[in-house]
Amino acid sequence: MTVIGERSRIRKMDWRRWLRRHGWTVAAWALLLALIGFYATLIPRFGAFQISSIAKNSLPLVYLSVAQAVIVIAGGIDLSVGAMLVLTNSIAAQLMVGQSFPITLIIALGVILLAAGINGGVGWIISISRVPDIVVTLATSFILSGVALLVLPSPGGGTSEGFRAMFTGSATGSGTNFWPSLVVMAIPVGLLAFWMRRSRTGLSLYATGSDPTAAYLSAVRTARAKVVSYAVGGAFAALGGLSALAITGSGESRLSTGAGFTLRSVAAIVLGGVALTGGVGSVVGAAAAGIVLFTLSPVLSAMGIDPNTAQVIQGALIVVVMMVAGIVEVRRQRSE
Amino acid sequence: MTAETRLGLDDEDQARWALRLAEHPLIVLATVLVVLVLVTGVIEPRYLSVSGIRNTVLLAAPLGIMAGAQTILMLTGGIDLSVGMIATAAAYVAGNQSPNGAALAIALGLLVGVAAGTVNGIGVGVFRVNPLIMTLAMSAILLGLFTALSFTVLQGSTTVAPFIKTLGGGSFWGNRIPYNAVVWTGVSVLIVYGLRQTGLGRLLYAVGDNSVAVRLAGIRIWQVHIAAYAIAGLLAALAGILLAGRTGAVDLQLAVNFLLPSVAAAVIGGTSIFGGVGTYGGTIFGALILGVLATMLTFLDAGQAIQQVVYGVIVLGLAWLYARVTGIG
Amino acid sequence: MSGPRRGLTSSSPRAGYQSPGPRGTPIELTSGSLLASRNVAKRFGSVVALRSVDLVVEPGEIHALLGANGAGKSTLVKILSGVHRQDSGEITVHGGPVDLRRPGDAQGAGLATVFQDPALIPDLTVGQNLRLTDVPEESVRAWLDRMGLSSLDFDALARELPLPVLRLLDLARALVREPSLLMLDEITAALPADQAEQVFAVMDEWKERGRSVLFITHRLGEVLRMCDRATVLRDGRHVAVFAPRDVGESGLVEAMLGEVAREVREAQHTPTVESSSPVVLETVEIRSKEQVNGVSLSLRAGEVLGIAALEGQGQDRLFELLSGDRRPDSGEILVNGEPLNARSPFDAVSRGVVLVPSDRLQALLPKRPIRENLGMPLYSRISRWFSIAADEGARVDNAVERLSIDTRAARQAGKLSGGNQQKVVVGRWLAAGFRVLLCFDPTRGIDVGTKQQIYELLRELAADGAAILIYTSELAEIPLVCDRVLVFYGGQVVGEQPAATATEESLLTAAHGIVEKGAV
Repeated sequence: MTVIGERSRIRKMDWRRWLRRHGWTVAAWALLLALIGFYATLIPRFGAFQISSIAKNSLPLVYLSVAQAVIVIAGGIDLSVGAMLVLTNSIAAQLMVGQSFPITLIIALGVILLAAGINGGVGWIISISRVPDIVVTLATSFILSGVALLVLPSPGGGTSEGFRAMFTGSATGSGTNFWPSLVVMAIPVGLLAFWMRRSRTGLSLYATGSDPTAAYLSAVRTARAKVVSYAVGGAFAALGGLSALAITGSGESRLSTGAGFTLRSVAAIVLGGVALTGGVGSVVGAAAAGIVLFTLSPVLSAMGIDPNTAQVIQGALIVVVMMVAGIVEVRRQRSE
Repeated sequence: MTAETRLGLDDEDQARWALRLAEHPLIVLATVLVVLVLVTGVIEPRYLSVSGIRNTVLLAAPLGIMAGAQTILMLTGGIDLSVGMIATAAAYVAGNQSPNGAALAIALGLLVGVAAGTVNGIGVGVFRVNPLIMTLAMSAILLGLFTALSFTVLQGSTTVAPFIKTLGGGSFWGNRIPYNAVVWTGVSVLIVYGLRQTGLGRLLYAVGDNSVAVRLAGIRIWQVHIAAYAIAGLLAALAGILLAGRTGAVDLQLAVNFLLPSVAAAVIGGTSIFGGVGTYGGTIFGALILGVLATMLTFLDAGQAIQQVVYGVIVLGLAWLYARVTGIG
Repeated sequence: MSGPRRGLTSSSPRAGYQSPGPRGTPIELTSGSLLASRNVAKRFGSVVALRSVDLVVEPGEIHALLGANGAGKSTLVKILSGVHRQDSGEITVHGGPVDLRRPGDAQGAGLATVFQDPALIPDLTVGQNLRLTDVPEESVRAWLDRMGLSSLDFDALARELPLPVLRLLDLARALVREPSLLMLDEITAALPADQAEQVFAVMDEWKERGRSVLFITHRLGEVLRMCDRATVLRDGRHVAVFAPRDVGESGLVEAMLGEVAREVREAQHTPTVESSSPVVLETVEIRSKEQVNGVSLSLRAGEVLGIAALEGQGQDRLFELLSGDRRPDSGEILVNGEPLNARSPFDAVSRGVVLVPSDRLQALLPKRPIRENLGMPLYSRISRWFSIAADEGARVDNAVERLSIDTRAARQAGKLSGGNQQKVVVGRWLAAGFRVLLCFDPTRGIDVGTKQQIYELLRELAADGAAILIYTSELAEIPLVCDRVLVFYGGQVVGEQPAATATEESLLTAAHGIVEKGAV
């Protein structure tokens, strides 16, 4: 590992180093491809319909994983992302029912901004109150899911066909056109990843999560970075809620959905290579891991395993990955 | 101020009254509890009676025991998000074994709790898995396991032995004192004694305060973690059995709604999630406060939604107050 | 000190103020001062870091900030860098008052600092670090070229770079901002000689440009060579300002340590080890990565063995190996002739080998009371978990008494003064019992009185038959407590001197001398 070496030699080592740096993300994508390949061998017909199904149904979890990833990278954690998904889902469902496509787009934008504002506020509370993020977001998860119940006491509401098509590729929510789902997943995540690595504010998120002391000494506005991370997380959680609305066509405010999503978002980011201690990982890896986690369900069921055993397996898998990650981390620290 | 406090560099000067309060948190909590009871009494005058208070205690006892599990873990700097599922699992097993006698049923139920807790402890202590993830995963595993089992082996285990029903839901002395309060009292004594007067208790606080120092002083931390999570599992199982006794039936949703309140009770009671600080006495008050709160909201006919919002606001507010007054998180 | 310090004459025609008395009477300022801080005070909870400090830096000078550990240098620099805010006192730059609430304010006022721990984000690349702080790459490259780092790979992660490189990078980054005052906190510690020369060249150039450097260092030779004037802090106050060349090294030391230093340094002790004493701890060619490269030493009962080294020579890793925190890659550690094979500190402690870390953050339980801190190791075995040990009270009392720990001083150990905290850490092993005491820089940042107590205690313990291995960065104090000294450099023992004849100079030379002669 020559860090002070000749420039010409460095070009050749670029690939190896890039692979080492982004190894986990690459592994997540490789795992996804392998999983899908495996899935394809299990079912009689694997085609556009299956791809579309995976692409669109994994959207909520992918968005939530990305939301959690941004927040954790900046050194925090948010146990209310699931509740925010449920809340935005409920609000959008109530407002969008019977509206035309352009109006629903405007409502969607408004909901995203609202979620960003609310969660940014939560981030601000965490900054100034000194109450740990786990406790604050635990409390706000109560509040948000309670408000969701007020907004939408029972499943209902709706949205426009165009809105559904935007996320799912079809006006009825199910079809074979998987491109809209992929686009609507790739563009926000891609833009976010680019922004986080290239812009000053984006880098400040990594800095605050990696070494808040060094960041502060370098005149980085660490409090601001935290707030921004929570705001961005809120925005993506809103995308999760909106995509869930587009998929099912109506809103659903039951609490259990929210809590389950939150747990899986945390599992997904760890699987995707984001360190829970902050400063390390990519949202792209987290997104890939979100798809992987989602895809486990149809794969396991195609293998003939009933849903409950599947859940056990998923849980056990997560534990094993975590243990491996833990050992890897300990080894890494020892070698420094 | 934010970055400074993150660096732990500045201590804020505290007003004298705040300082005094910080040194006697139990008094603050007791006051809050009394205020809440009176407010509830204003809303519903029939509350201020033996049966009203009894119902609150009946409600708070299982929560208090589960919050005891959380307290122990939070002292070590950890958390247990699987207490709800462990409680449910123990209730299922107890129900399933009830035909073989209450003693065996309870014993096996508790064993399930200890087993699950030990696995948690191994994950956290030996493999250094983050407690959040480890206990989350355990919760998912238990859910899947028992959902599957509920269709097969555990089918029909939805009722518990009469003894358990009495223990969990009955009262004595003219229907005044709930049995589960007696259990809670016994557990409380053990926990308080354990935390104050045993070597393990000292180590729990020490590990939460500075696990690096504890390790360098020659203590094997993984043992402490396993012990802590196993005990927490035991307490969660006990709470689940009592809950099943109170409702008379077992189902998967049994304890799910107790998870977040168990953390909230510990936080309200002054236990720091960072570890090293807290007492079970505070948690007891926390559980009682939440019990009264839930009762009050029921009387207000508030509906589940508003209850939740108020719940969250109060937990946040109290945690904030604690952080301001004591200068810790 | 006897009488007011004189000798404020400096070669700079801008000097025009009176010398302060020993207790820091106010300094008058000329309006041309680059930086002036007056009556700066700062406390952290119950710990007073700065009582009242005046510091004046003129344009075009290199100004040293000196003081023993704990005198307040770091705190003052942090205040001037906007990391802390002073409780009272005013700071002016070029005559205009400034309010430094955050590091950005200090940078805006033309003050740039290079801290001992470089402020670079470990998980970001060099390029990303620069982009994060809005510093243009080409300008940084220009400075790095001048410092001999022209081929630094900007795509390397900061955590992959060695400390000296990070320091120079931090320095380059600071220079690009063209600060009026450049503050360097112990930048030459653990820096190889040739790179230290680069830093000195930069400092000279900065002075030639009419700007100034505030230089904090322990190395008095550097002070004499580079600095026009020096301000000495002691116990949170400025006690002297003079031109180093006027007072020489001994004058600097005396100003830093005061009269008591002489007493401490002149104390004698009687050796308590004999050649017939059994060898309690022995290492045979232990190695660990590149930090410990074949170390063999032996320690007898009743002996106090000192390790003298500059920072970062591998002594940290050596102590990690001895205390069981890490396994050696090769070689053996023997306790009483039997191999240690420690997989964790538990194994070492069970054999009686215990550690007093220098970083009290690694040893203290800040939120717990003193007595719990003292009694902690008693519960290392599960058999002792079920109650409070019957003898805990007696053992803790014994430790409290021998170390004169005031258990009423604070309810939580974290609120004690540094000296008292260290007493608690040492006291813990008194209470638990031990065979070999490993002390890593035990008196760092501690007031002189407590240092004395700790040294006396160590001698008493040695007289009782304990074996003590002590690393200290206070080379002058080694003869006070040690029987013999090993000089450590580059992960190896490079020399041994009997304590009776070792002086700070001989030790420093031995530790330094290799640096100048050998390749880096």
